[in-house]
Amino acid sequence: MNIRTKGWLAAATALGTIALISAAIGWANIEVHDADHQRRQTAEIARALNDLRLVTFEYILHRSDRAQVQEREASARLDRLLANAPFSSHEAAEVLAELREHTAAAHRIFEEFLASSSDPGATAYDAETTKRFEAQLSGRLLVLQQESLTAAFRLTDYSSQRINAAQQRVVVVIAIGLALIAITIAGIAWLIGHHVLAPIGRLQQATREVAAGNWSFELVADRRDEIGEMSRNFNAMTQALRDSFAQIEHKNEELAALNKEIEAFSYSVSHDLRAPLRSMDGFSLALLEDYGDKLDDDARDSLNRIRAASQRMGRLIDELLGLSRVTRTELSIRAVNLSAIAREIAESLKLQHPQRSVQWVIEDDMTVQADKPLMVIAMQNLLENAWKFTGKTEQAVIQVGTVEEDGARNCFVADNGVGFDMTYADRLFGAFQRLHHESEFSGTGIGLAIVQRIFRRHDGRIWVRAKPGQGATFYFNLKEPLHERTQQGHLAG
Amino acid sequence: MSEPNKVILLVEDNQDDVVLTLRAFKRSHLMNPIEVARDGIEALDFLFARGAHADRASAPLPTIVILDLKLPKLDGLGVLKAIRADPRTQYLPVVILTSSKEEQDLISGYALGANSYVRKPVDFAEFLEAVKVLGIYWLMMNEIPPQSLPQ
Repeated sequence: MNIRTKGWLAAATALGTIALISAAIGWANIEVHDADHQRRQTAEIARALNDLRLVTFEYILHRSDRAQVQEREASARLDRLLANAPFSSHEAAEVLAELREHTAAAHRIFEEFLASSSDPGATAYDAETTKRFEAQLSGRLLVLQQESLTAAFRLTDYSSQRINAAQQRVVVVIAIGLALIAITIAGIAWLIGHHVLAPIGRLQQATREVAAGNWSFELVADRRDEIGEMSRNFNAMTQALRDSFAQIEHKNEELAALNKEIEAFSYSVSHDLRAPLRSMDGFSLALLEDYGDKLDDDARDSLNRIRAASQRMGRLIDELLGLSRVTRTELSIRAVNLSAIAREIAESLKLQHPQRSVQWVIEDDMTVQADKPLMVIAMQNLLENAWKFTGKTEQAVIQVGTVEEDGARNCFVADNGVGFDMTYADRLFGAFQRLHHESEFSGTGIGLAIVQRIFRRHDGRIWVRAKPGQGATFYFNLKEPLHERTQQGHLAG
Repeated sequence: MSEPNKVILLVEDNQDDVVLTLRAFKRSHLMNPIEVARDGIEALDFLFARGAHADRASAPLPTIVILDLKLPKLDGLGVLKAIRADPRTQYLPVVILTSSKEEQDLISGYALGANSYVRKPVDFAEFLEAVKVLGIYWLMMNEIPPQSLPQ
């Protein structure tokens, strides 16, 4: 049975009880009213009996014709009252019958009395006899009337008792009704407590568990009501979550396996592809060293080209491995001082190429939340590019700083080198894409692909603005806000 | 130039690399005898005088082992582990000479007790320089512990 039905049932019980009490009060009211009517009728009968007695006495004492007429009237009135008396119970009917009998008997005696007193041919002896007879009659009459009065009072008592009984019954019904209502209310309270609040409490506990990450939490869902339905839905939900997570887990395992394969592949590439290159370079050099004097210039040039190509392929392999390593390494995000990194790279470039004079403008305290080794690689590529492409510029300037744009702070690396045509900008970040001939500027064309991959791994972005002959500016931002000095614990982990 | 009785054990499976390494030693004027093992098992057989090298029972250990990592049968790290596990060879200088620049190999190599880790460059001129420096250091400058070690 569900909670709604139970609630309806409880409400219906309470309402039914109230209706029952109302009905009982109504019924008692009718009963009291009825009994009151009976009592009044009984009083009327008693009054009529009294009147009859008075006129009977009056006739016995004064023998007036008026009293005789009055007796008849009173008697008729009493008969009418007795005939219409509103009594239905057996007991009352018996009393009434007794009353009717007594009245009829009294009337007969009175008639006899009349007959004896109106006998004109009576002698003295007769008169004596008549007098004694009359005395006898009047005595009997009086006794009868007295008995009738007593019976009438019994009827009155009976009515009063009926009123009392009705009132007592009302009291009992109200008491029972109130008790029933109290029980119903207690039942409703218990119902709410046991069937609503307690299961909701368990549900709440379950949601808390699941929110805390306990996906395997299962609710007991054996109830057949709305809460049971909710519990089943909840279990279905956690089951769906578990399934999704299992699926994600499975995919992750697949990815991990794939990653392992790539790693194994990279390892092979790193080891096995370089070995033949070493042979090509080594044996070419051996030829040049051992037989150089027997070879002409063309042959030596060819051998040198073989060596240069082998070495260049070696570098390409190394950089490709670097690119794949950028994708594979796990990020360890913490505060990284870009200014310090830029200064270190600038110093090392100055040391490597002391003949060049480049003006470095590096903003202080540029701090980002990032993986430091990867940021070093990114900055190295960007700054080495800037250094390389200002190689033919007089008064070369390389700037590293931040700029506010569209409400966001972006870092930039700017140079005043050769620049390039923006038409080809979208090709710039692809692997092995070059915008200059290698004879002009050396390089494998992989550096910016690595840089872009590094920023992507940080959920960041890199873009470029350039003009031929006027230098290039690389802008980048990371998901984490710039100049964030407070240590963010959840990212440092 | 160097003491000729100091034997070098070169563990290398690539014939080209063997030839180039021998050439590099020769060109660096390192005249020490060089023994070549073609896989990990052969290297251990040589060191512990087993199998085909059983006759070496009384021969001294090589002064240095130059070890490639990618080897048939038993890889370089396995060989290194076996060398360090045996009391006779636990202090034997082992230089890893390999193509791999993988961080994991470097860490594993040092963790297992390699004395040095050198990457073979593609440029033979650079390789020559590396072998020269390596030979001078390990064969001439470095002092090795006495052969009979307290057990």
